[in-house]
Amino acid sequence: MTIEECYTKFGGNYSGVLGRLGSEALIKRFLGKFLNDESYANIFKNLESGNNEEAFRAAHTLKGICQNLGFDKLFVSANTVTEALRNGKNDVNDEMLAALKADYELTTEAIKSL
Amino acid sequence: MGTDKTKERSTILIVDDFEMNREMLSEILKDDYNTLEAADGAEAVAVLKEHEHDIDLVLLDIVMPGMDGFEVLSIMNRYNWIEYIPVIMISSEGDFSYIKKAYDLGATDYIRRPYQSYTIHRRIGNTLMLYNKQKRLLKIVEEQVYAKEKDNRMMINILGHIVEFRNGESGMRVHHIQTITKLLLRSLVKKTDKYELTDNDILQIITASALHDIGKISIDDKILNKPGKLTPEEFAIMKTHAAVGAEILKGLPVYQDKGLVHVAYQICRWHHERYDGRGYPDGLKGEEIPISAQVVSLADVYDALTSERCYKKAFSHEKAMDMILGGECGAFNPLLLECLKELGSKGIAAALDADARGDMDDQLLMRVTEELIENKISDSSSHSSQLFEEEHSKRMFFTEDKREIQFEYDSRVKTIVLSPYGAKFLGAENSVVYADQIKNELLGEKCEALKNALHSTTPEKPEIEPMNEVLTYNGRTRSYVIKAMSLWSNESEPKYIGALGRIIDVTDGMK
Repeated sequence: MTIEECYTKFGGNYSGVLGRLGSEALIKRFLGKFLNDESYANIFKNLESGNNEEAFRAAHTLKGICQNLGFDKLFVSANTVTEALRNGKNDVNDEMLAALKADYELTTEAIKSL
Repeated sequence: MGTDKTKERSTILIVDDFEMNREMLSEILKDDYNTLEAADGAEAVAVLKEHEHDIDLVLLDIVMPGMDGFEVLSIMNRYNWIEYIPVIMISSEGDFSYIKKAYDLGATDYIRRPYQSYTIHRRIGNTLMLYNKQKRLLKIVEEQVYAKEKDNRMMINILGHIVEFRNGESGMRVHHIQTITKLLLRSLVKKTDKYELTDNDILQIITASALHDIGKISIDDKILNKPGKLTPEEFAIMKTHAAVGAEILKGLPVYQDKGLVHVAYQICRWHHERYDGRGYPDGLKGEEIPISAQVVSLADVYDALTSERCYKKAFSHEKAMDMILGGECGAFNPLLLECLKELGSKGIAAALDADARGDMDDQLLMRVTEELIENKISDSSSHSSQLFEEEHSKRMFFTEDKREIQFEYDSRVKTIVLSPYGAKFLGAENSVVYADQIKNELLGEKCEALKNALHSTTPEKPEIEPMNEVLTYNGRTRSYVIKAMSLWSNESEPKYIGALGRIIDVTDGMK
């Protein structure tokens, strides 16, 4: 599978990320880094311990990565969670988290199969 | 983006709490720029503090833990960095209130994520171009002001020399007195701050010292150049030169408000006063004599003794010192005598030699020029005087002893800066360390006690009682004395702004 095919599989914007980073090699490097990133896990960890502010930061970071790497589909669900946590509130519901989980897994599975 | 290879590369500080974001920007920029990275606001401030003059642009994220991007901008305002280091915000925040706040705090540009690398390059390029143009213009202005100041000083020296020439003196007399005046003032400000002398004051005194004898143009040649001893009548006439010199300056129809004329007036009128009150023309005593006149008076006497005159041979440094300290040539401020003594024959000779080659206090002039321009361009004068105060306290507090851990704490930006030795001792790469990281490594639980001690000090009595502590560094437990003093802002109601500290190993000194 090429990187472009991988992007198609998880609903990403390949031409966007190529314009941003300029080379396939660099995209591949950052995709690898994304797999080790803990922002996603931190959203859930902090929601459980009731630390809304940290959960917001984690969601915000994940959203930023999605923008950087052109993960358009995952961006939408990450953005929904981010906005639900803005200003210290917690308006997150199960539906939002389920969507986030599904999109995250779709993305990571595709990257792992590269 | 094709930068000119011969040009120096600009340095960009990338501030983002997320490593991937920093790395991505670094990758995009590394072909054209040098990059530095900071993982949060506090680290950004620490890096800025250390590399203030090397950083050409900052890329700043907004949402970060601890100190966020807006706070970094506020601090950059407080330290005036924002005046010459452009900041481009990079954020996924599209909310107008964020964008407005960033611009209001002085950000140059605001780039939203996701960005295109092309746009980033262009915007950075444009911003740097504008700032570099401004920097070049500033440098041109600085060079012109410097050249003008130098010309002015040359004219004053020529004028001083005319007087000395009529007196049959060598051409070096003006230079000699300026050099000795400079040496005395430098060592004086190291000893005391009671005269509150700024770089500019010192430069003015040095410059004006060339004019100390202008009153002698009114003295008859026959008296002025008489080889033998003067009669009492002749001496009385000779003595009028001090007051006459001052009158000449006072009679100037313009420039009365200029500091230089004021200083020159003091020097002309009072350079023959004596510390014991038995001098002329006014019989001023002790500190009634302006410090400018005190210093030039001593420089004048020393140079007269160690130079050949129409009525005498040159004395050696030792002989001259004996005569001055023995009170044969006037009475002087004991502190100034101490300065002269410490300079010693070698110190004075070396300085006279260097100045004869023409590199007379260029550095001082350059500093004053820079300060002048900086104050004109921005309202940073209160800030610079604050920094000056801090620098001064630091110089007075820290010793040259490199084998103790010295640190500065800045409570406004919550950073501890370690001395190079201290940093190395504690295994830090960098002399700048973020407060919350080092706190425990540096002082353990003693940190709290030290903080409390510092908080109970006052601006009048900033030093704490030295604390005797047993501390373990790098696995070695030893006895230390902690000395510290608090720093206060120079506002009418001083605020606690940080502290200076020394951790001194006293193990070997104990029985």
